[in-house]
Amino acid sequence: MSAIVTKRSSGSGPAGVSCRIGARGVSRSFGTVRANVDVTLQVRPSTIHAVVGENGAGKSTLMRMLYGLDFPDQGSIIVNDEPVSLASPREAIARGIGLVQQELAIIPELTLLENLVLGDEPKSGVRIDWKKAAARAAELSASVGVNIEWGANAAHTSIAVQQQVEILRLVYRGADVLILDEPTAVLAPAQADELLRLLSSLRDAGRTVIFISHKLDEVIGVADYITVLRSGRTVAENVRGEIDRDGLAALIIGDSDLPITTVSHGIPGDVVLVAAGLSANDDRGIRRVENVGFRVRAGEILGIAAVAGNGQEELAELLIGVRRAATGAIRVGERNVERAGVRARRRSGIAYVSADRKHEGLALGLSLRDNVIATPGISTLASAGWLRKSAVMTRVRDILTRAAVRFGSAADLASSLSGGNQQRLVIGRETASRPLVLIASQPTRGVDVRGISYIHELLRQARDNGAAIVLFSEELDELRELSDRVLVMHRGRVAGELPAGASRAEIGQLMLGDSDESG
Amino acid sequence: MTSTTSHTAPVSPDAPNVRDSLTGRLLVTFVRVARHAGLPVVIALIVGAIVLSVTGYDAFNVYGSLTTEAFGSASRINATLAAATPLLFTGIAAAFAYRAGVFTVGVEGSFVLGGLTAAVLGANMGGLPPALAITIPLLGAAVAGTLVALIPAILRAFWAVDEVVTTLMFNFIVIGLAGWSVQAFFQQRGQANSATAYVSDSAVLPALAPPGQVNWALVIGLALLIGYAVWMRYSTLGFEFRAVGSAPRFSIAQGLRVRNVLLLALLGAGLIGGLGGGTHALGIVGRYSAGFSASFGFTGIAIALLARFNPIGILVGAILFGALNSAGATVQLFINLPVQLIDILEGTVMVLAVATFIVPAWWKRRATRSRGGKA
Amino acid sequence: MIDDLIASALALTVPIALAALGGAIHRRSGIVNIGLDSHMLTGAFIGALISGLFGSWILGAIAGMLAGGVTGLIMSLLITRLKGNEIIVGLGFNIVTLGAIGYLLRAVFGVSGTLQVPGLQRLPALDIPGIDKVPVLGAILSGQTPLFWVCVLLVPVLAWSLRNTAWGIRLRATGASEPAATSLGLRTLRIRDSAGILAGALAGLGGVALSLGAVGLFNENMTAGRGYVALAAFYFGRSRPLPTALACVLFGFFDALQIQLQTVGGFSPDIIGTLPYIAVVLVLALTGVREYRRSARKVS
Repeated sequence: MSAIVTKRSSGSGPAGVSCRIGARGVSRSFGTVRANVDVTLQVRPSTIHAVVGENGAGKSTLMRMLYGLDFPDQGSIIVNDEPVSLASPREAIARGIGLVQQELAIIPELTLLENLVLGDEPKSGVRIDWKKAAARAAELSASVGVNIEWGANAAHTSIAVQQQVEILRLVYRGADVLILDEPTAVLAPAQADELLRLLSSLRDAGRTVIFISHKLDEVIGVADYITVLRSGRTVAENVRGEIDRDGLAALIIGDSDLPITTVSHGIPGDVVLVAAGLSANDDRGIRRVENVGFRVRAGEILGIAAVAGNGQEELAELLIGVRRAATGAIRVGERNVERAGVRARRRSGIAYVSADRKHEGLALGLSLRDNVIATPGISTLASAGWLRKSAVMTRVRDILTRAAVRFGSAADLASSLSGGNQQRLVIGRETASRPLVLIASQPTRGVDVRGISYIHELLRQARDNGAAIVLFSEELDELRELSDRVLVMHRGRVAGELPAGASRAEIGQLMLGDSDESG
Repeated sequence: MTSTTSHTAPVSPDAPNVRDSLTGRLLVTFVRVARHAGLPVVIALIVGAIVLSVTGYDAFNVYGSLTTEAFGSASRINATLAAATPLLFTGIAAAFAYRAGVFTVGVEGSFVLGGLTAAVLGANMGGLPPALAITIPLLGAAVAGTLVALIPAILRAFWAVDEVVTTLMFNFIVIGLAGWSVQAFFQQRGQANSATAYVSDSAVLPALAPPGQVNWALVIGLALLIGYAVWMRYSTLGFEFRAVGSAPRFSIAQGLRVRNVLLLALLGAGLIGGLGGGTHALGIVGRYSAGFSASFGFTGIAIALLARFNPIGILVGAILFGALNSAGATVQLFINLPVQLIDILEGTVMVLAVATFIVPAWWKRRATRSRGGKA
Repeated sequence: MIDDLIASALALTVPIALAALGGAIHRRSGIVNIGLDSHMLTGAFIGALISGLFGSWILGAIAGMLAGGVTGLIMSLLITRLKGNEIIVGLGFNIVTLGAIGYLLRAVFGVSGTLQVPGLQRLPALDIPGIDKVPVLGAILSGQTPLFWVCVLLVPVLAWSLRNTAWGIRLRATGASEPAATSLGLRTLRIRDSAGILAGALAGLGGVALSLGAVGLFNENMTAGRGYVALAAFYFGRSRPLPTALACVLFGFFDALQIQLQTVGGFSPDIIGTLPYIAVVLVLALTGVREYRRSARKVS
């Protein structure tokens, strides 16, 4: 304990500072996207400060700037009341700032203790003084009231424990401002509670904590101050106790329900997609999708709404088959496809627009032509295993024209297209075969306004052609505009289903976990 | 903890060539080959020149003689092409697999077993007409070469077992098995070191311009090269090869035949390598003996990498390395130059073929700083 | 008979084991060293030259080790700084080194292949009085060269260093997760270079064990692919010092058996020579299938 206290007095800023770290009038744009507009943030020493907002509200950009990973176009970052320029994480670290990213820098092959001291090992001679290291480790974990088995192999410990070690490592290395980017997104509820207690202990020991979260309960419960960002702007700063969850939810989502102009809904036909009892794990083996089921009719769009990290990416992947389902059944038309590979599923009529356009949706190093014909349907363009040039060119021109892709030559690389054109190519390709089912995951991500409306048009066309569409989107307005029904996921489960015309607030409440089970 | 590192092909192919006219395309191709191969070759020549100078040779003189010995007369060109032939096969074999992103180093083993198989079959072809007497051993060689790649191919395609180490290990396994089987079954009586009998006259691949050594193997190799180019460009599966090699996750999500591609890439490389060994046995050596392959499989890797898998680049590379081998072998007779100089040049080119020549970080920093200062 | 077999097996183990231990450390830093053969050959050559020049096996061993370390560093720099693919760089390095040494033998020393170094001092055999008479134990412990004891010492020293020094845990961190190690501020390239130097130096010492061992001369083919056997050994031993060394003992035993059976006749040395490589393929296949199964349950 004593070492912690010493660190604290040496590590925190000069006495009487009112802003340990923050931002003053910061703006940051990426191309035409304005990630931060005139953002102001004041984090007082020895407090927990939550930053909340929708996906794309500009939270991560702000955190990256506080850690020297990105730089404001205008305005400045404040450390200890002084404007500073943090050119690199190294400079941020030198000022006692530490960042816990979602991708933890925990080395699986090492023990937790080795992970803790890695890079700054206590030594006696050439050898590491493990006694000293273990003592420091015990002291650190005791000081924040967690129980960590330091000798365990990191590979065999839970994410929650790894995250605690990552946080304590920053403390070990002398950080007294801790920035956490959605730390509870990867945790189970009980684990999240423990993490929040840990953060409180850090605050009580004099450290300053900033954390991003989507979970309003934990924000309300633990944060001393709450800053709300919406569309890159600071909307409000609240002090603990001054605001309740409903008020906060309203601030996050905004109360202006945009009138939806072009509501044209489909005329649903037979049920062509049935998903039942689907569960799946993510790449780390953590259960991400739990007992999800739904039915979609031909000519219907089912919207799926969820805050990032609540299982919707995994659900999309397991519908097309790039991720294996742990349990459950998927039926397309008359066929059960849950055990089939991607190729067989596509042949039975599923098409897929991936959320990861750069790696999964397109082969950026191949030509437009190659990108268009890369489906199991390529066999229709070939005779005896050889591609028929004229058939290929007709198909390619047909799809590129129909999707209004602006291109020079079909031999140009896919990487030469703008984001909007790339995505039109993808959707054009996926809808050309008149699929029974279209899984569209974040189809307008990174696309400008004009591109978006055209992509919406393509999706509606596909629906009118009889496709059952499952639309995953982080844009609530997009879901409201296109969907016949909206299914909301929370923590991998179906939190509820809403009809067309549901308001942003209704969807948002379900997305943020405002249901009986978490209330 | 150490078994699952997954390697991919060590370099990526160039972007597709978008020129429409044939001449334009050739021009682009040559520029690209020169760009990728130029620097490694020049640096290797400089290294060689330093070695030569230090050991008391006149580098210019030596390089001059090498060039003359490689290309100076019709018979020397003939010898160069003969030396280029096995490299053409192994170069195509490596490029074939690398195109699909599969990093095999097992062509050497396929070449060896293909050579042994063709030699053994060829020795028993007496009485058969040449068409059969040549075809049967070559078919056997192709099958043998494929078999060498079978286990690594299955392990890679079905269980994602890293192919680099398995194919490397299979080279040694095959070379050991070949040595053993020659001694145990096929050894020609009265031979001092282990070698098989010479192949029947009817099984010998005819020379194209006797008495030169260049023979029909070169024609087969060139046909294979054209086949490789056309197939990669115009066939459905060739298309899937390029897709899997360029964008594996995309290929999986698009439902392409990824597993077939992986299998075929390794097996095909084995087949082509085996065929190369077969033609080498029937065309040049006439039998199998210890040291049958002068690391042709490994030189083929270097050629494929330098060429970035481009067919014309492979041809140029095979001729270049063939020239080094043939000239090296004779030039030592005239100027008493150790033939090992050729290994130094070849190995250096190979190492540098995969190196990225980057501007050092401090230089870049200085450049940005001075730019920033001006602005 | 059995004593002869043990003695010769251990003698044959030493060069492979030194190289394999170096390769194992290099592998732990995340690099597969295909060039061990080139480092061994360099070490054997320089070791023989210096031992002859000064008439001292100690100086020869040190020089061979340093020379191996230098080639290890050069190879590592090509991999870490010029981003060359480790497999190709290793293969190419073996070709260059074999060529360069063959060239030097002919151009400078005027011999083809084999170099008899006048005044070369071989590694002494350390007899342990008393034990040398005990069957089996005597064959194991007595009459071994100093490099055998270096090898025996290295196993615990390396295992200990990997666990208990900053260098060791940083090296393992780099090998296990290079991006994470970099994000913690470790100089991963430098760490890998240090492992490359160590691999080269130990392989070089392994080469010294060859050229200053039983015969006391240098031959350009004297490594005879032992670098690749070493590679097989550290794959077989999963890059941990003790299992790697034991794999080398096994392979050394194969080697000795092959020589013994050769004199008896009837058994092919070629087949026995392939056993290490077959063992590696088996190990890779088994672990590969197991890991695939395990991951298949979690992800696709």
